[in-house]
Amino acid sequence: MGRRRGQQRTPSPGAGGWALLRATLQRQRKALLAGVLVGLLWSAGKVMVPKLTSLAVDKGILEGGSLWLWAFLLGATACIAGVFTAWRRWYAFRESRLTETRLREQLFDHILRLHVAYHDHTQTGQLMSRASSDLQQIQGFVVMIPVTASNLAMVMAVVAILVVQQPLLAVVALAPLPFLNVLATRFSRRIHPAVLAVQQEQAQLATVVEEAVSGVRVIKGFGAEPVTAARLATEANDIRTVSLEAARIRSNFLPALDLLPNLGLLAVLAMGGHRVLDGRMTPGQMLEFMQYIGLLVTPLRNLGMTVAFGQRAAAALLRVNEVLSTDPAVADPPQPRPLPGGARLGDVNFREVQFAYSAGAPVLRGFDLHIPAGTSVAVVGATGSGKSTIARLLTRFYDVTDGAIEVDGVDLRDLALGELRHAVSIVFEDTFLFHDSVAANIAFSRPDAPQADVERAARLAGAHDFVLDLPEGYGTMLGERGYSLSGGQRQRIALARAILSDPRVLVLDDATSAVDPSKEHEIREAMASVMEGRTTIVIAHRPGTIALADTVVLLDAGRVAATGTHDDLLATSPRYREVLAALAAEDDDEDVDGAIGAAPSSPSTTGRSGDG
Amino acid sequence: MWARGGGVTDEDRLDRAETGRVLRRSMQFARPYRRTIWLAVGLVAASTACVVAGPLFVKLGLDRGVGHGSTSALNLAIAGYMVTVVVAYVVGRFQYLAINRAGEGFLRDLRVAVFGRMQAQSMAFFDRNKAGVLVSRMTADIESMAELIQWGLLQFVAAGLLLVMTTVLMVALSWELTLVVLLFVVPILGVASVRFQRQSNVAYLDIRERVGHNLSNLQEGIAGVRVIQAYGREKEQSRRFVESNRALYGSHLRAVRISTWYFGLVEWSGIVSIALIIGVGGFLVHGGSVAFGTVAAFVLLLANLFDPVQQLSQLYNTVQSAAAALHKLYLLMDTVPDVAEHPHPVPLPASGELSAHGVTFFYDGSERPALRDVTLAVAPGERLALVGPTGAGKSTLAKLLSRLYDPTEGHVSYGDVDLRLASLDSLRERVVVVPQEGFLFGGTVRDNIRIARADATDDEVVAALDAIGVKERFEALPEGLETEVRERGSRLSAGERQLVSLARAALVDPAVLVLDEATSNLDPGTEAVVEHALERLMEGRTVIVVAHRLSTVRRADRIVVVDHARIVEVGTHNQLVALGGRYAALADAWARSQPVVDPTSGR
Repeated sequence: MGRRRGQQRTPSPGAGGWALLRATLQRQRKALLAGVLVGLLWSAGKVMVPKLTSLAVDKGILEGGSLWLWAFLLGATACIAGVFTAWRRWYAFRESRLTETRLREQLFDHILRLHVAYHDHTQTGQLMSRASSDLQQIQGFVVMIPVTASNLAMVMAVVAILVVQQPLLAVVALAPLPFLNVLATRFSRRIHPAVLAVQQEQAQLATVVEEAVSGVRVIKGFGAEPVTAARLATEANDIRTVSLEAARIRSNFLPALDLLPNLGLLAVLAMGGHRVLDGRMTPGQMLEFMQYIGLLVTPLRNLGMTVAFGQRAAAALLRVNEVLSTDPAVADPPQPRPLPGGARLGDVNFREVQFAYSAGAPVLRGFDLHIPAGTSVAVVGATGSGKSTIARLLTRFYDVTDGAIEVDGVDLRDLALGELRHAVSIVFEDTFLFHDSVAANIAFSRPDAPQADVERAARLAGAHDFVLDLPEGYGTMLGERGYSLSGGQRQRIALARAILSDPRVLVLDDATSAVDPSKEHEIREAMASVMEGRTTIVIAHRPGTIALADTVVLLDAGRVAATGTHDDLLATSPRYREVLAALAAEDDDEDVDGAIGAAPSSPSTTGRSGDG
Repeated sequence: MWARGGGVTDEDRLDRAETGRVLRRSMQFARPYRRTIWLAVGLVAASTACVVAGPLFVKLGLDRGVGHGSTSALNLAIAGYMVTVVVAYVVGRFQYLAINRAGEGFLRDLRVAVFGRMQAQSMAFFDRNKAGVLVSRMTADIESMAELIQWGLLQFVAAGLLLVMTTVLMVALSWELTLVVLLFVVPILGVASVRFQRQSNVAYLDIRERVGHNLSNLQEGIAGVRVIQAYGREKEQSRRFVESNRALYGSHLRAVRISTWYFGLVEWSGIVSIALIIGVGGFLVHGGSVAFGTVAAFVLLLANLFDPVQQLSQLYNTVQSAAAALHKLYLLMDTVPDVAEHPHPVPLPASGELSAHGVTFFYDGSERPALRDVTLAVAPGERLALVGPTGAGKSTLAKLLSRLYDPTEGHVSYGDVDLRLASLDSLRERVVVVPQEGFLFGGTVRDNIRIARADATDDEVVAALDAIGVKERFEALPEGLETEVRERGSRLSAGERQLVSLARAALVDPAVLVLDEATSNLDPGTEAVVEHALERLMEGRTVIVVAHRLSTVRRADRIVVVDHARIVEVGTHNQLVALGGRYAALADAWARSQPVVDPTSGR
């Protein structure tokens, strides 16, 4: 788990999970209550059947009374049981799905609000499983609530009826049945880890397959098929082993679960048969006993399951609650101050900023930089010097450890987040595209923007032409399941996105690194026009892009090491030349080749904290 | 389907003929386990017989014992019942084991066979089929069958047998009562079950689709959280998510509604059947044609009729999708590899000229050739650089020269032997392709290098590292060559991954190296180490490099410029610059993109 120490309140163990469930179920209490009531009616109907059968046998068949009366009464009971079992099912599933649905929305909402540092330390997959498999466990428990209530009622009613009629026979016949409950509970508990083990082995096999598919070039290149085939065989054998272990557990429990009610039936036949012979019991009553015992099998098994489900749901609730009880470390201040209006806006001031990613070495140590409104600064620094951190601090993805950052004289921490992020836009090095049209992806910052504005922004970002070449132009769907764009194209979409949002302060974080160098000059003009009159921070390593800024700042060892124009620094700062040379070597020649067939690696947006 | 096009078949329904083929094929495949299977079927039959015999002994006890006042007859019935209970229990334990042993063995063999077949396919196959689809064949599809085997198969067989045996017993006891029950049950339950099965299948597919949709929205929200926060779009994203989440909820409700009426109906008809048996049975008892015990047995037997019908209608979908999954797997197994070893392969000579003769190549389904009539000879020991714009065909040429693909027209030869006639073993020994990304498999560094030659000794692996001058670097890792590459904290850097890739090539010690030059950024220090290792690896070998860097191109003996699927220029750097053609323009663009410092002079 990506549990963060320090900044986060430790969630209260145990109680928090159930409190969460209680709060959610509270909203559905009427429907749940209705489900329980309907379930009780069903139980009543079910319990009547053996009784009616017994009466029909004794009075109707054996004593020669009216058959039709009993048949009719049974038919009426059938209607009651049929209607109410359906109804109970409906309530149970509807309400449990509603709980699951609402909790998922609550989680999603909360996850979106959690601070970036939390996301840095938490894998997407972890959060996904909170919102999917954990919620399913909870749903599986909630569905049992009305079911369990009516099952309990039925078990008690049946036991009462049997004990009143034939106390001794009842005790003997019912004696094995509590073990049904015990066994079912124990079975559920034992089979669960075995099932998990199977899933784990399956995941390991999946890893081998994934490696074989994504590393197919290596395997083909060296003829290493036998090596991977041997690995796969090992995993396949492991799966067989753990699956057979699970089968062994099932074979230990399931036949025993069938055996117990049969022992009860055997007792009824043995003891009851002799009692009927002695005339102490009617044949109808014996049949009634047998039917009742049959009736108890499913509810007793389910009660055992409910216990096990409850335990799993408790664990799931705890995990879900852990996420929900984490407060966003970066949030709106209690009394936000507004940004001042006026003519020249976008004055940015870094004052003695200190910053360290959680528990890491400080990245910024007394970073001081004033950017007057409407001017632009290029920040240059070696890999890992902290230049990307500056961008992240300015949108308050993280809060400074010490010092302050001000926009137009207001400390970022005094601003409402919405207002701050409207005023400051970042274009990241790796662009995240949503599964939506090109137009919607550009208009992400302003969903109500007219098409003309979207196209204008795209044109400025040098994206318009290639967008028109896409299969459906601005309507082309992007994202993981959509059309895949090249790195450079993605960056241009991101640039258009930022342009459309028309911020006071624009931060370009290596925003053209994936654009083919031979084409970068095409969008340099666009960038220049966007930057005109707007406070802009450019984090770049290509001289052409650096030269766009009014001033250049060299970031070294967490503070400003030199300031000046690009040419000044080239002439006066040996460190500047060194850093630039190193960056150029890293950039080296861009990929001029599409490497046909090579899978485009999806840019990762996780774990960015270590970089920059 | 697999031979051409996506290979993605997501049909979940098979027609009768396909189902038959799948069944026959599976029986063939399960042959090694046929004894266990027959044993399992026998055990299931025995335990089912016990379940059915229970009510029979109750009837005997009631009629022969109670009815005639015979204690011994009653005791006999009790003893008989006890035997069925014990036998059912004992047999029950073994049937689980037997059916699982056969099932899991079958699955194991299937996994190994499908994977083997998949790996035998050519590169073109892997280009054609999305990685996700291939992985899901080996995982989701096979797992959907595992579920069936672990839970369903036994139930399926047992439910079927129970239905048959119960009906037979009922007919034997009283054909009149059986007729009454069947006349009522079969039409109602039959029609309802078929409808339920059909509707619930539609609902299930709908849910599956919406779950997938909802999950990808969820994933998009989490993965894109930085952008969402940066633009303050949390509310809108939440609203979008609620839409798909509620749509999923709606699908769940539809599915519940379908099962609700079905299970209500089953419950209703179960009790109505009792009423019928009491009514009609009582009438027959009064008439003397049926014994009272028979009526009692029928009441008890009814459960044996209703439970299996419910189980079967629920299992039907599982069985269907397992059959569909098997169908997809068999299709994959039937795909004939298009780059396969010749039936009578010849070994390649130790050295020779690697040459392409009038080679034309089309990627699958492409109308435009990726290479058109290319002829090229590479002399032993020559260093050749392939350059050209994106998609010009230079990577394709490299792949054909190493027989990752076979040419559509023309042929590629090494030492005058057509590569298609060569044994794959000798080909992989002579010609090694070093991919641009240093791909790592799970396991240790040593395992990763040994991928190249499974029979290499530990010393040979060390020697390979030494040959490229990086032995110390890897021995200095926390656990040396035994370092697990996938473990947290010991991840290898991009540079080290490339070094592993080079060490693999050194371990094979080939005559020809085909390099797809790395384009990823390395820090300058590592870059120098990789360059140095590469230089040592290339020494004394024929080298064909798909080049992206001016520095590499300059070091080549000869440069081949590929454009629009043809070779357009061939010569040395100076010759081609002097020519003033494509290469000159390209070199100029390269030079302009790094005006401050020429990186090649810095190193």
